[in-house]
Formats: sequence, C-alpha cells, structure tokens
Amino acid sequence: MIELIDITKDYEVGDETTSVLKGINLKIKDGEFVGILGSSGSGKSTLMHIMGLLDTPTRGKVLIDGRDASKLSDEKLSRLRNTYVGFVFQQFNLINKLTVLENVLLPALYAVEKLPFDPRDRALELLAKFGIYDKRDARPNKISGGQQQRTAIARALIMNPKIVFADEPTGNLDTKTGKDILKLLNNLNREFGVTVVIVTHEKDVAKTTKRQIFIRDGEIVQKYL
Amino acid sequence: MKNLFFLVSSSFDDFKRNKVRTFLTSLGIMIGVLSVVLLIAFGQGLKNYIKEQFESIGTNLVYVLPGRIVGEGGGFRDPGSLGAKFEEKDVLRLKKVENVDYVVPVFEKSVTVTAGANREISQLLASTHEIALALNLEPEIGNFFTKSDLEKRAKVAAIGPKLAEKLFGSKDNAYGKTIRVSNQSFKVIAVLKSKGGGALGGPNFDTITYIPYKTSLRINPDKKFYALYLRARTDTNIAQVKKDAEKVLLKTYDKDEFQVVEQTEFLNIITSIFSVLNGILIAIGSISLIVGGIGIMNIMYATVTERIKEIGIRRAIGATKKDILFQFLAQAIILSLSGGIIGLIFAFVIVFFVRQIFPAEINLISVIVAFFISSGIGIFFGVFPARRASNLVPIEAIRYE
Repeated sequence: MIELIDITKDYEVGDETTSVLKGINLKIKDGEFVGILGSSGSGKSTLMHIMGLLDTPTRGKVLIDGRDASKLSDEKLSRLRNTYVGFVFQQFNLINKLTVLENVLLPALYAVEKLPFDPRDRALELLAKFGIYDKRDARPNKISGGQQQRTAIARALIMNPKIVFADEPTGNLDTKTGKDILKLLNNLNREFGVTVVIVTHEKDVAKTTKRQIFIRDGEIVQKYL
Repeated sequence: MKNLFFLVSSSFDDFKRNKVRTFLTSLGIMIGVLSVVLLIAFGQGLKNYIKEQFESIGTNLVYVLPGRIVGEGGGFRDPGSLGAKFEEKDVLRLKKVENVDYVVPVFEKSVTVTAGANREISQLLASTHEIALALNLEPEIGNFFTKSDLEKRAKVAAIGPKLAEKLFGSKDNAYGKTIRVSNQSFKVIAVLKSKGGGALGGPNFDTITYIPYKTSLRINPDKKFYALYLRARTDTNIAQVKKDAEKVLLKTYDKDEFQVVEQTEFLNIITSIFSVLNGILIAIGSISLIVGGIGIMNIMYATVTERIKEIGIRRAIGATKKDILFQFLAQAIILSLSGGIIGLIFAFVIVFFVRQIFPAEINLISVIVAFFISSGIGIFFGVFPARRASNLVPIEAIRYE
C-alpha cells in the first residue's frame, strides 16, 4: 500500500519558486486499478514519479507499506524500485542497443536476492503472453510502438511487482493499439491482482480504471473539468 | 558488483559499438605503457651491458690507484695531482699478500700507432706477461708475450682485434707485422679475442696495444706505474685482500696518496649514475601516461553524457548508484588495462628484437608496474565521470534527450 501525506513539490526557476504539487494526500490500496487524470502541467506525472520513488517530495511523506521512503538509503530505494514497483512510460524508455529480451531481463540483473524463478524463462513467458515472442531478438527501435510498449510492460512485470505505474501509456500509440495496451493493463489487475496506476490526460483512458483521481494545478479536485 | 561478468560484457558491447573511439583512447595508454616499459627495459639493459663488461675482465680484480678516485660518498672524485706513482718494488711487496694470484703493474698512455701509411689512436698498456692472466686476455692468433719477452725487453706487442683490422685490414694480416709507437718498432705477436666495450663512451678493450713494460723505457723512462692490478684467487674474501694490500702500501705511501678499489665499487658507481638518468627518463615517459589518462577521462565523460537517458532507465528499474558507478568505472579500467596490455605486448616484441644487439630486459617488476599503473589510471581518471553518472537524479536522467 502506498500512502502520500501532505506532499508538496517545488521547483526553483531563477529566483521564483513554483509549486507543482500543493499538499497531496492520497492512499492507494493493494489490488486497486486507479486512473490519475489531469491536463498537462497539472503535476500528475510528478505525482507518479514521487509515488514510484523516482523523485523526492520537497515536503511531506511517502509511506510504502507504512515505511517512510524519505528515510531510506539509495540502496533500499533502488531495491524497492527493482522489486516493488514497475514503470511503463509514454516514451517506452527501452534501451535500443539491447534486444527485446535483454530489455525485459534488465531488472533481474540488478536483483539483490536470488530470484525464486528463472528470469529468462519468465521473460520469454511474458513475451509469449504479450504476443511478441518472435520479436525477442529484435532491437526495440525495429518494432512497432505497440510492440515496444508491450516490451516495456513485460519489463515492468518481470520482477513480480506489487504495483505498476503507467505514465500516459497510450500517448504515443494509435487508438486501436492504445486500447489493446489498456486491456492488457486491465487484465494484469483483474487476473493477477497487480495494483495498476495509470496517469493520463485522456478521459477515455481514465474511464477504463475503477477509481479516478482528478488533479488540477497541483491539487486533488473532486470533479474533472 | 553483483554481476562482474555483466559489467565486463556490457563494457565490451559498448566498445564494439565505438570501435574507433575505443581504439584511439586506449592508444594513448598503450603508447604511455610502451614508452615506460621500454625505458625500464633499456635502463636494465644498460646495467646488464655494463655488468657484462666488468665480468668479462673478472670480478675478482682489485685496483690500486693513485690518489682518491672514489670519494667517501661513493662518487668519483678528481684525483688531482696528489697521488702515488707506483714502482716495481710495490709489485713485489704486494705479491706477498695472501690469496693474490697475480700483481701486475700498469702504465697507460694514449698513443698513435702507425703501420705503413695507417695511423690509429690506441691506448698503450705496458705491463708484465701476467696481465693476460689478470684481465682474462686470450689471443685469437699468436701467443701473448712471455716472461722471457719481458726480461729480454723484446720489442713485441699484443693488439686488440679492432686495432688490427683498422691498421692491417684483417686480423690475420696483422700477425707478424710491425707497428710503430713513439718511434719504436714492435712486432705483432698476438691479436686478442674481442672483449667488446667502446659503446657509450666507455673504454674499448678491442683497440688496446699491450707491450712488456721493460721494453717501453723510451715511453716510460722512470719505470713508474699509473696503477697496479691485483687478481685475487677465485672465491676469496676480496675485502680481506683489499685490507691487506692497503696495509702493505701504507708502509710506503701516505693514505691519501693511493686507493685500493674493487671492481664492484666501480660497477656500483656507474650503475647508480645510470639509474638516476634512467629514473629521470622514466618520469618524463610517464607524462604520456597522464595524457593517456586524460584521454580516457574525456571519452568517459562523453560516454556518460551520451548515455544519460540509459542511466535514468537503469536507475528507474532498480540500479543503485553503486551499480552505475561500477559500470562506468569498469569500462574505464578495461579501456585503460587493455591499452596497457597491448603496450606491454609491443614492448615485449621490440625488446625481443633489440636483444639481438643489446641486453635490454623486461623484468617482472615492469610487467607488474604496467598492470598497476594502467588500471590505476583507469580508476583515477574513470572515477570522476563514473561519479557524475551515478549521481544523476533518476527522473531528470530519464527525461534527458
């Protein structure tokens, strides 16, 4: 479970301080399927980065299963990113010099403890499930956007995370492919009980989730305008 | 750190993608290691060469010299005008010293030797027949002069092989011919085997003219000697011989007028001078290693900048700062070390060929030094770019385009 307590995030540009997040309180329970909806510049991505331990808040606390993340060392935070959360980005963020399979295997290389499964078997299984098994030896820049995003989701899942964050996962895809990806994320939540948080500016995308949170100008609002 | 193999293989993948860049970068270290290892090898070679020269004369030689040539601190001193001129009596006295096989008086002078129309500068060495035994001189053609030649004041000479070639065209031609020194004629009764020397400004043993000292009265009228050579019995205590010889000479001479020096003392002084020179050369050569290291640092900064996004991705999926640090550090070390190893291989090849003419030598120390220096350079110059990589904020790195 992830809990945000009074999270603010300020950016200093020259002498001016801009608050991107202004006191966010939020709880995401295990097994939820949440959509965070906001226009560009609303702070939704920053919120996701803070929840996913990629960024640190200026003030406030992030509790991961009750533990204060700000008190964790770089090593412990990295380990949580490795095992507890998975990320899916709008830009896919795959490493083009590695093959599809190597990209999916990458988190396993940074695993500290011995894994209870064979990472290679699991990676191939995920690729098969997502219909890109035959692309396993291709470079990411040689396959379609939909296939790249499936690779990214497979990478997010290889370590069996409790929660998957998807930042505009359909943003770079056509409508049909986008729908497929959303269906895939939905399935993850329904069939495997993975907590899924989708950050988007599209109402249609947010609608596919079970719970929607609206964010505007760095604050959570009750109604999306 | 978790997976050394992964670190190494990812570095090699990167090298494969940037072949030219990798080659040029490690070239810097390669040249640096090559020059330092070669300088060490040639320095060692020089020491070996000098040692061989001394050993060809024999290490159990003790010299009695006028004045104080070797200073208290171990360096050469100007002997000045002060100093003894040794006499025949000294030879007889020193012969009584225990464990001494031969005592030979030496009169030395630089002379012009003529044979027909040919003239050559030669070092004239007037002594007894025993000098051949004291200095391990062996004739290649003919026989060295004998005791009876000495007593008969025979006008005979034994000459070095190079001198023979210069004066007569060949060693065989020289035998039995006449040479003229200071208006005196000498018959060449022996041409000696080559002993080498002469390189690097040292004495050339192959152009010396040896004559019996009693024959050389016109050249050395008062029968005074510049030096006395003592050949100690093999495996005796040279220090004791030295001490005994000093005791004998002190009866005749003041302690500042002469000095008894053993072969190894000369050797030590000469090698220590060359060691200093060689050390300076190596220090200069090391500059190229530093330049090579800066090249590595430069390329590693470029690599880190190119891969900021990748670093962000790796951080996002669980790589720690340390993982990133080691990844880039490993790359710098491999780059530097492989340059070092290639430099070392080239050094071995060059030394292999040079050894045909000069006893250069790559010892274990220079191999170890090459390894440590090149990996040390990788660490030192790689750590700054690697730290920059590891300290990137993950989310900023991942957004970097």
